[in-house]
Amino acid sequence: MAQTGGEQRIFLRKASGLIRTASGTDTFIYNLGLVSVGLGVASILFYGPAYYPGGDLVWSCLLAGVCMAMIAFGFITWTITLPRSGGIYVFGSRILPPGLALTMSLVEITAWLFYCAIAAYWIILLGLSPALTFIGYLSGNDAWVAAGAWVVEPWPLFLIGSGILVLSGIILSAGMKFYLMTQRIIFTSALVGSVILIVVLATGSNADFIVSFNQLMGPILEVDEPYQAIIASGKENGWAWDGTTDWEQTWLVSNWPFLPLVGAAFSIAIGGEVKSVERSQTYGMLGAVCGATLLWVITISLATSVFGYEFLGTAAYNLLEGVGVQTDPTITLLAGVLTGSPLVCILVSLGFMFWMWMWIPGMHTFGVRAIVAWSFDRVAPEPWARISPTRHTPVVAIIFTMFVNILFMALFVFTEFFSAIVILIEAAVLAWSVVLGAGIFFPYMRPQIYEKSPIATKNILGLPMMTVACALGFAASQFYFWTLWSDPVAAGHDPQQLMIVAGVFIIGFAFYFVMKQIRKAQGVDVTLAFKEIPIE
Amino acid sequence: MFWKKNKKAGEKLTIFFASDLHGSSVCFKKFINGAQFYGASVLIMGGDTTGKAVIPITEQNDGSFLGFQSGADIRLNGRDEVDEFIKRVNNQGFYPIVMTEDEFQALKDDAEAQAQLFKKLVCDRVREWCDFAGDKLKGTEVRFLTSPGNDDFFEIDEIFNGAPHVGYHEMEVTELSGYEILHCGGSTKTPWDTEREYSEEEYQRRFAELVPQVKDMERCIFNVHVPPYGTILDRCPKLDKDLKVVFDMGNPVSMQAGCQALMDTITEQQPLLGLHGHIHEGRGNIKIGRTTCVNPGSVYPEGILQGVLVTLQGGEVASVQLTQG
Repeated sequence: MAQTGGEQRIFLRKASGLIRTASGTDTFIYNLGLVSVGLGVASILFYGPAYYPGGDLVWSCLLAGVCMAMIAFGFITWTITLPRSGGIYVFGSRILPPGLALTMSLVEITAWLFYCAIAAYWIILLGLSPALTFIGYLSGNDAWVAAGAWVVEPWPLFLIGSGILVLSGIILSAGMKFYLMTQRIIFTSALVGSVILIVVLATGSNADFIVSFNQLMGPILEVDEPYQAIIASGKENGWAWDGTTDWEQTWLVSNWPFLPLVGAAFSIAIGGEVKSVERSQTYGMLGAVCGATLLWVITISLATSVFGYEFLGTAAYNLLEGVGVQTDPTITLLAGVLTGSPLVCILVSLGFMFWMWMWIPGMHTFGVRAIVAWSFDRVAPEPWARISPTRHTPVVAIIFTMFVNILFMALFVFTEFFSAIVILIEAAVLAWSVVLGAGIFFPYMRPQIYEKSPIATKNILGLPMMTVACALGFAASQFYFWTLWSDPVAAGHDPQQLMIVAGVFIIGFAFYFVMKQIRKAQGVDVTLAFKEIPIE
Repeated sequence: MFWKKNKKAGEKLTIFFASDLHGSSVCFKKFINGAQFYGASVLIMGGDTTGKAVIPITEQNDGSFLGFQSGADIRLNGRDEVDEFIKRVNNQGFYPIVMTEDEFQALKDDAEAQAQLFKKLVCDRVREWCDFAGDKLKGTEVRFLTSPGNDDFFEIDEIFNGAPHVGYHEMEVTELSGYEILHCGGSTKTPWDTEREYSEEEYQRRFAELVPQVKDMERCIFNVHVPPYGTILDRCPKLDKDLKVVFDMGNPVSMQAGCQALMDTITEQQPLLGLHGHIHEGRGNIKIGRTTCVNPGSVYPEGILQGVLVTLQGGEVASVQLTQG
């Protein structure tokens, strides 16, 4: 069989039916917003040179981009075959035992809801605090500097972060239309911030930056030539780099671009709303991977050139380790220093905060949709799927997940142990790999469904396209599971933290089996929700 | 509370309801087999039985065939590929037909001939389904009830009415194991101007005719194809006169496409249960006062049958479970 061009050989009649609304552009924006380009730039430049000296940031972005494209390819074949909203729960439930499908979904949304809290935390830490501090530096007003330090104290951090999370809940409760409208405005503003940053960096030079930095920060830090002093004190206190590329560090530092890049596949959550699903999801997911990677490569190349790799590494190292000459090296503040302009600092900071914000309602929605899907399938309490009669939104699920977000925020801020639970991303990547692994066998185990997929006739090396794509996705997700496992800075495998991850899996299974027993007592067999009815 | 045991007394009646199969043979077979699979004693198919597209498979001079799939032509080499393609198209809810290239060229500019072909193929498919249902349900206690949706040609009425093991009802109130079912098909006006559409005023008259026939509203099931207005069951994207989605500030505008007269009737009469379809996006389960209203939605092109299992016991809805079989 082969596809050909020519006239449309189909006779259609007027009939009502399903209408899908999200275009390829909408899907692209949705995914790119959830990549959070600004968060990627900030975290790569903050943690990369500091903890992975010699790691090539550009190559690390490219490695993460290629692997995420492989994962996206696997999910594209899943969502083309089962074009419905609900993410990996929908996919997993067609082929995995229901308990396992629910557990994978629960693990995934636990990680994403935790990341809502982290995003709120980073908005304050990497956006608000540096902006206030820099305004204080330029104006000479200590109150601004004090405010910059105050907002990262535990209680203010928790209260402001919780306020951000509550705002997400309010926007989602107001309805999808209002949410999409705010996201578009925020996305545009964030993009403007990124463009301003690129222009600032492209028109600046390392020499300009050193002069500006030393002039501004010398009196504040009470050090002559603070740029050079920061580098020297960092080296004295253990930061080491011989000036060559270290490929092991390049591999490990790629965790940082990979973490936000997972957002490029989040349109699997809105699969039921995407029209021309094959084209839109392909452009939407791969476009977001390529777009984000390209923006990072440009911004990071310029930033390391203007600020200097050694400076970025030692400044963050000194701050994170509490040694040597310390200053806040977030890119928003450095861009402000470079221009000497509070306006530039504010615009770039706002752009970063907007990028980080886009994570919050996006991931919040992901969790809400999954919970509503569980409730429909009777594996979660019915009230969780209750819809507001006026706003037509699942208010109970939104409020429930909002409180989970705030709980995570509290754990993140007030406990040292949970502040290091970035390891949850490992659990989410593992859940993805299970579903992608199942996708390898889907064309063989569910041929009646797969034969209706638009890609059913497409083969690669004689194998169904879905088998090949999911094999690539499985390999890439496993690669990043082990990369995160091997990197104690980004995630690692501390036994206590692994117990938390194991605990999330156990909670998922326990939740399913408890609900199953409750429903059984009510005369409902929840295993029937996804069992395929025989045809003949 | 959701964890409380179901202590309702009385005999259980399990209904499996699905709607908007739109010609998908695989979904219909699953629907009929759903009785045994789910242990349901009543099958209710909520209308929009008929499909939307005819796929001509035309023989070419070189012996190959041309078909149409996923927005593009597809060349089929040999009878095996044609047979496999026909099976796939049938399962998607479309109507494949093998013809010569000359026949296709003549047909493509003749709207009347296309309409006749559509009706013939639709009726053939309905006959096949009735035969399948007859074979499967013969000798069982399972009751199979259906009523028309807005997309259904009037020609199918006669076929369903003549089929054993099929209870085809429109504008009727029938008895069902101690309960009553009010059957009302069609839909409110749609942008597609389909076969069986009625204005709100006509629906008011239809319900005014049917409601007095119900003896006990507390034990009455509304099998009404269109969902009640202003709920999640009838929410869908708004279309313009060219059937394109309307956007506002770059966002798709949604609208309610249900029936206000039905909403008013349910609010006033408070039947036990409402079974609805029509809006494929409107999958959900809601309460309007004491009335449980369900729309299982439809994703028939994927070959997945979305349905709902409803268990009635002691004159109450004991459980509602949406399924994707």
